[in-house]
Amino acid sequence: MKFIFQILVIALLAYLFELVFPWWSIALAAAIGGYWLRSGKSFLAGFLAISILWAFIAWRIDANNPTHLTDQVATLFHINKSSLTGLTALIGGLTGGFAAMTGAYLRKKKRRHY
Amino acid sequence: MKFILSFVITISLIYALNRSWVIEGNRIPPLGKFLDPTQGFWQSAESSDVKIDDAIQLPGLKGKVTIVYDSLLIPHIFAENDDDLYLAQGYITAMHRLWQMEIQILSTSGRLSSILGPGKDSVLLNRDRNQRRLGLMFAAKNALKSIEQDSVTIKMLRQYTKGVNHYIHSLQYKHLPLEYKLMDYEPEDWSPLKCAILIKSMAQTLNMGDKDIQMTNVLHLFGADIVELLYPDNEPGADPIVDNAGGWSFSPVKIDSTPFALPNEIIKVAQLNTPDPTIGSNNWAVSGTKTASQAPILCNDPHLDIYLPSIWYAVQLHAPGINTIGVSLPGAPNVVIGFNDSIAWGITNAQRDLIDWYKITFNDESKSQYLLDSTWQVVKREIEKIEVRDHEPFYDTVLYTHWGPIPYDEHYNARSNKSNYAFRWVSHDESNEILTFYKLNRARNHEDYMKALNHFNAPAQNFAFASVSGDIAIRIQGKFPVRRKYEGKFALDGSRSTNGWQAFIPFEQNVMIKNPERGFISSANQYPADPTYPYYITATNFECYRNRRINDVLRNASEITIQDMMNLQNDNFNLKAYESLPLFLSHLDSTRLDTSQLNAFNILKSWDYFNNVDSKGAVYYEAWWDNLMPMIWDEMDRGDTALYIPTTFNTIKLIREHPELSFFDFKKTPEKETAHDLLKLAFELAVEDVEKWKEDQKQPTAEWGNYKDTYIHHLANLEPFSYHVLHGGNHDIINASGRIHGPSWRMIVSLERNIKAFGVYPGGQSGNPGSKYYNNMLDRWTHGQYYPLEFLHKPDDLAGKMLGVCTFNTQ
Repeated sequence: MKFIFQILVIALLAYLFELVFPWWSIALAAAIGGYWLRSGKSFLAGFLAISILWAFIAWRIDANNPTHLTDQVATLFHINKSSLTGLTALIGGLTGGFAAMTGAYLRKKKRRHY
Repeated sequence: MKFILSFVITISLIYALNRSWVIEGNRIPPLGKFLDPTQGFWQSAESSDVKIDDAIQLPGLKGKVTIVYDSLLIPHIFAENDDDLYLAQGYITAMHRLWQMEIQILSTSGRLSSILGPGKDSVLLNRDRNQRRLGLMFAAKNALKSIEQDSVTIKMLRQYTKGVNHYIHSLQYKHLPLEYKLMDYEPEDWSPLKCAILIKSMAQTLNMGDKDIQMTNVLHLFGADIVELLYPDNEPGADPIVDNAGGWSFSPVKIDSTPFALPNEIIKVAQLNTPDPTIGSNNWAVSGTKTASQAPILCNDPHLDIYLPSIWYAVQLHAPGINTIGVSLPGAPNVVIGFNDSIAWGITNAQRDLIDWYKITFNDESKSQYLLDSTWQVVKREIEKIEVRDHEPFYDTVLYTHWGPIPYDEHYNARSNKSNYAFRWVSHDESNEILTFYKLNRARNHEDYMKALNHFNAPAQNFAFASVSGDIAIRIQGKFPVRRKYEGKFALDGSRSTNGWQAFIPFEQNVMIKNPERGFISSANQYPADPTYPYYITATNFECYRNRRINDVLRNASEITIQDMMNLQNDNFNLKAYESLPLFLSHLDSTRLDTSQLNAFNILKSWDYFNNVDSKGAVYYEAWWDNLMPMIWDEMDRGDTALYIPTTFNTIKLIREHPELSFFDFKKTPEKETAHDLLKLAFELAVEDVEKWKEDQKQPTAEWGNYKDTYIHHLANLEPFSYHVLHGGNHDIINASGRIHGPSWRMIVSLERNIKAFGVYPGGQSGNPGSKYYNNMLDRWTHGQYYPLEFLHKPDDLAGKMLGVCTFNTQ
């Protein structure tokens, strides 16, 4: 339950942060989620939160677009559209995962001091 | 420890994903930034119902501006004064075309390396050096000098610039055009100088044709008779733009009659960039006596490289004293080709030779001084700093004489360091063409049109005109040097000032005519005037086929309708084939052909000479021609000695009249060939080419549209954002659609009391590949169809038919 909650919080924070800050603010969101809601599976939570968020937004944008932009950009990378969406999710996921893990370790480390 | 490790990984990952990497010469965009769906490339994917802002706050406006977008996303700008009008034009154009505007400027001013790196084998860096050495910035700065002297123009450019910069400053990474994200750079501020650079970019496309160095080499290698035979100044393939035999009543300017002197040497430079001789344009206007509506009709289709985002951006400009619509060049204010409620105008290129090369005699190796009329003049040195992305800047020194810059020397492109030539180009001179368009946009009649044209120096153009009041006219406008016979055809000795341009043809003596008896005016880049025009005229080439086809059709037409004019702009009749194919075929012996050759022979025999999409004859004819030309002129390919291939028209004439000419010998073979042998050989190779094409493409037959494969390429050659279309025509045909260039804008204006106008271009208003307006007009263009142009008098004229309305306000 905590795991699911952690995913939701990270995704929500990341979404809000990105309204104002550059893409790397997802790392901040994941780190906060990792720190406050440490679930023991923080990397996975951060990974899933961002990859699902990004894949969902990407899918929605593409569904509303009448051109072949996504296919065309995918062709530039010598891959197809699903792989491009997958790559998007992976890049966001890895950033989110490592950041969430960093947040989680930070809390562990601090506790030792008290 | 775990924390530190994890922290370092996270930070490194973000760093790596936040910057671009060059891998094997390809730039990979910053993956995190680029793939982020909330801010990266995904944001370029516009939704199907285009969102148009209701209101935009813009500082510096004097009044309110209303912009109505029609169903093609063409903005109709309604302003309360000129200042607001041009500010809005700048803002809106940038909104749709920012990346294109900037890349054109970077390319022209020799700055591509700063964003793209030096390129493979320094190809981009060399391109940049070439632009700097030809003095494109020197030209733009001179243009700006004269623009700054005219308060109307400079104010207009400052307002346009302000509009572009308001837009640029409103952008976050999220909103940047896709290409910036891909190539990982950001837009710079706009400036009036950049508008001037854009004009020079057009001048380079249209008026940088010359063959002086090549002709000098031909003269020294083959002699004067061959020059005369292969490169006549005026070919019988032209029905001149103005035929006014005996009617040139002015007294022409006389200049110093000292004969000019040529350098006595073969000029060793690598093959120069000469413009494609098959590029051109058509315009014509028919008077009311020849139309069904009894009102004049004006038509124009400029043929340029056809790429995306499109070279043209359609716009309507409305303010007190102006109401005009047509196409503009993204990066400069005004409408360039279009109409208002009184007149319409269209443009084609005048072709004339406006470049000379002068041999410089230096004092010694230091090249600090050069000889002029027995005095030593100082050589100016300009240091060009070329920024190269991810590399140290490259410094190039360009030498300037009073003639102009010296583009080729021992440091660049020259194959011999003994002699250097200075480059004299009319577009290096001060001039203010933008004022011409400002005035044309507001012109009410023929007199206003004439006044507007008086500001136009370069690139010289054929301006067609028609008015609601019933006048038609054409004027070839530009700054033309008064030349002695053959002057300008060869490189000249630069140590004597009498070899220079001593006077210019007074504008009122330029070739022009109003309301000619034949009831129409036209131009298609052909020779400008009948032989009684009292000035010597030369050019790299003049057009020989489209002009006669247009005039034949117009001469015989009556009760002309708009549909007739659409048909004529899309006419695929191949006059060149009509005149040459029977001659070519007479050289083949049908009893000695193999099966595929006989098949080709029969197809050609029954061909109707139309290069339509489904034509099979056109495939074999064009393949035959494409094999024949290089075979005939193999003598002109000499590596380090630049030479020039004669025109299509003259080549056919030589085949007909001088089949034994030594140039018909194919150097690759030991035998001595004549035109007859080459025609046979080229035919066999052509059939092989077509057979091979059919095999490669897995097509049972070869049809012209498919074989020619018209390709609308992305401006940065990004293959996925480019389109292939099935389209007829070719160079030398009215529908001059070759593989990568063709009619970049087709416009027809019927000057009835309520003007009816139609237009189409191969692209769309938006420069964004993720918008449905990126190429939405391409389909109709391909099929020879048009869109009615919505010419509004007030914003609500379009109620119910528009995409949206946006107002600009200052707080």
